[in-house]
Amino acid sequence: MPDSGISILFEGRNLIRLAQGLWVTAYIAFVSVALSTLLGVLVGLAMSSRFTALRAVMRLYLDAIRIVPVLVLLFLAYFGLGKVFHVNLNAELASILVFTLWGAAEMGDIVRGAVTSLPRHQRESGLSIGLTEGQVYRYVIIPQAVRRLLPGAINLATRMIKTTSLVMLIGVVEVLKVGQQIIEYASLISNPTASFWVYAFILFLYFAICYPISRYAAYLEQKWQS
Amino acid sequence: MSSSEKQTLLSIARLHKSFDEVEVLHDVSLDVGKGEVVVVIGPSGCGKSTLLRSINGLETINSGAIFLNGEDIASGVTPWNKVRQKIGMVFQSYDLFPHMNVMENILLGPVKAQGRDRKEARRQAESLLERVGLLERQDAFPRQLSGGQKQRVAIVRSLCMNPEIMLFDEVTASLDPEMVREVLDVMLELARQGMTMIIVTHEMSFARAVADRVLFMDGGRIVEAAPPEDFFNCPRSERARKFLNTFTFEATRKERRTVE
Amino acid sequence: MTVFNSVKKTILAAAFGTLAAGLALSSSASAAGFSTVDQIKERGTVRIGVFSDKPPFGFVDANGKNQGYDVYFAKRVAKDLLGDESKVQFVLVEAASRVEFLESNKVDIILANFTVTKERAEKVDFALPYMKVALGVVSPASAPITKVEELKGKKLIVNKGTTAELYFARNYPDVKLLKYDQNTEAFNALRDKRGAALAHDNTLLFAWARENKGFVTGIASLGDLDAIAPAVAKGNDSLKAWLNEEIVALGKEKFFHADFEATLKPVYGDSVDPESVVVEGGVITK
Repeated sequence: MPDSGISILFEGRNLIRLAQGLWVTAYIAFVSVALSTLLGVLVGLAMSSRFTALRAVMRLYLDAIRIVPVLVLLFLAYFGLGKVFHVNLNAELASILVFTLWGAAEMGDIVRGAVTSLPRHQRESGLSIGLTEGQVYRYVIIPQAVRRLLPGAINLATRMIKTTSLVMLIGVVEVLKVGQQIIEYASLISNPTASFWVYAFILFLYFAICYPISRYAAYLEQKWQS
Repeated sequence: MSSSEKQTLLSIARLHKSFDEVEVLHDVSLDVGKGEVVVVIGPSGCGKSTLLRSINGLETINSGAIFLNGEDIASGVTPWNKVRQKIGMVFQSYDLFPHMNVMENILLGPVKAQGRDRKEARRQAESLLERVGLLERQDAFPRQLSGGQKQRVAIVRSLCMNPEIMLFDEVTASLDPEMVREVLDVMLELARQGMTMIIVTHEMSFARAVADRVLFMDGGRIVEAAPPEDFFNCPRSERARKFLNTFTFEATRKERRTVE
Repeated sequence: MTVFNSVKKTILAAAFGTLAAGLALSSSASAAGFSTVDQIKERGTVRIGVFSDKPPFGFVDANGKNQGYDVYFAKRVAKDLLGDESKVQFVLVEAASRVEFLESNKVDIILANFTVTKERAEKVDFALPYMKVALGVVSPASAPITKVEELKGKKLIVNKGTTAELYFARNYPDVKLLKYDQNTEAFNALRDKRGAALAHDNTLLFAWARENKGFVTGIASLGDLDAIAPAVAKGNDSLKAWLNEEIVALGKEKFFHADFEATLKPVYGDSVDPESVVVEGGVITK
């Protein structure tokens, strides 16, 4: 009986719609990851700074992001800003904003961990051969930090990809929402096993996005070892 | 090989350094001539490491002055990164950059800090590596090297910057005994070629062999300064005598072993 | 170091690209918090919030087109307000956030099977009704629930933000509620036997039970007969008035009966009498 259900994937423009939904998921996730990495480096440097006040503010930011559920942040960014400040972000932009805020905090913590785990002598060693502080960061600290934070960063990226399904609740048509639309329509036309096939296909799609990322990470680690 | 007329390369005047309330360097003054090898010894906590790190700007001094070739380097007029290109420093914990191979480690300073042409710097690096016997390991990564090899690379890395003076902070203290010799040999060779050096070490027989002058420090002060034969044979201060006693015992033992 | 450089460039490009795209895409804010009829006409599109996964009222077909009883009406609104059926921008909403969409001016009208309640009327303005509905309870044919009392101590599945959730929370607190954000999840849960029954608008359940063999709408009508009406932002009098006039005018051509024929009859078959669902001209006849 499951065989008759799989036909749902090939009806009409369903496959295209799923692909479009996947594109939306990937777009939101990847842009957020990219921006998070950029900001996360700054946040991470702030978190390991010498100024106690700055570190305290960053700590507060990180804890707040971890405590408040992502869904609440999405609602605040999409509806809340609209209601209270009359700032109208479209849903995709609100999603990227929220995910970037979340990602930057997490990434900042990962960066801080990577930077502080470096032996302090590395910095002095670099200074001793006449490099400026900036050059030390660029050629000595950051390359090593990047190698150390890669596992955590990849983990964050895949977590963000999986969490993007929440954005359907503020109206973004991402891949899981398309799946639900197809399933509901299918139940209308007597195809009750459709849900299994649609979800299975979506599972495959998520895997298709996340797997290359972890493979690329493994490749990078390999490359840097030699 | 002390020349009759020494040209002063490094001049330290009345250095004071405290960490919070604790005074680590008290009124330290020292002149080092060009080509001179000064060995600094003393009990731990006496300030010898801090002295070296102050010369290099890794520690800020509270008062006093440091002149390199007549130029005031500690007052902040010249940026430290420029100053450090003339001062080579090798640490106890080697600290080669693990993400770069040997050649890249050596070339980083000359190419990025000094802006030299890569090919030219490479040629110098290769000849230096050859002199310490590590040319064929130029593509190896630090984790593939032994402690002694890493330390020799660290010395080459500093030498490639063409410094005027080299500072060594207990560079053999972390090494396995069988590797200590290869590093000390490199330093002896450097001294023979006329490099100006300040060496902090616990290797007493090495100190005797390499030093033009021995400084004994204790409690943040230079307690005694003398040529090695004078210092080791008859130290003038009580504290120096006490300190040397801890080594003399070992030294005798070592002599017996080499005879057998 | 070239890896670092190319990564850096990609990140910067993505950052600026997103900012630019975002600024271009975000709609401008209305000072009043909603758009009047004139502003909508000037803009050229009307934004209508509909469901995308609740057939037969609001769903998306295999070709990606919005369909359903609510959507049929929405297209007519666009045609009569702006001259063309295609001048509507469908915004896909969830039951729990329908009020939010109006309050934050993300949509002009909600046509998402929105039941009129006192609490909701405090936050939004309802126009005349176009459908009537009561609550229903669907359960497996093998263990049907025909009376509310049979639910005591059992788990009842509801969709968050619906009148079903509110009704049971208020009137039958000893019935354990299993709440889901989405329709699909709720119905899947029923199929998986996570609850003894599912409560929702009876009009939705009639359709679902017909398509899903083995389930029956054991309780066909529960609670009061409720009205389903379009909703607009509080204070948007011009739009509310326009909608009211529209519904009265459409009553003359029996528009909603035609709507039923086109969207609901194929699903209900002959099992449901149109008069029990349709409201013509905004007047509810019991």
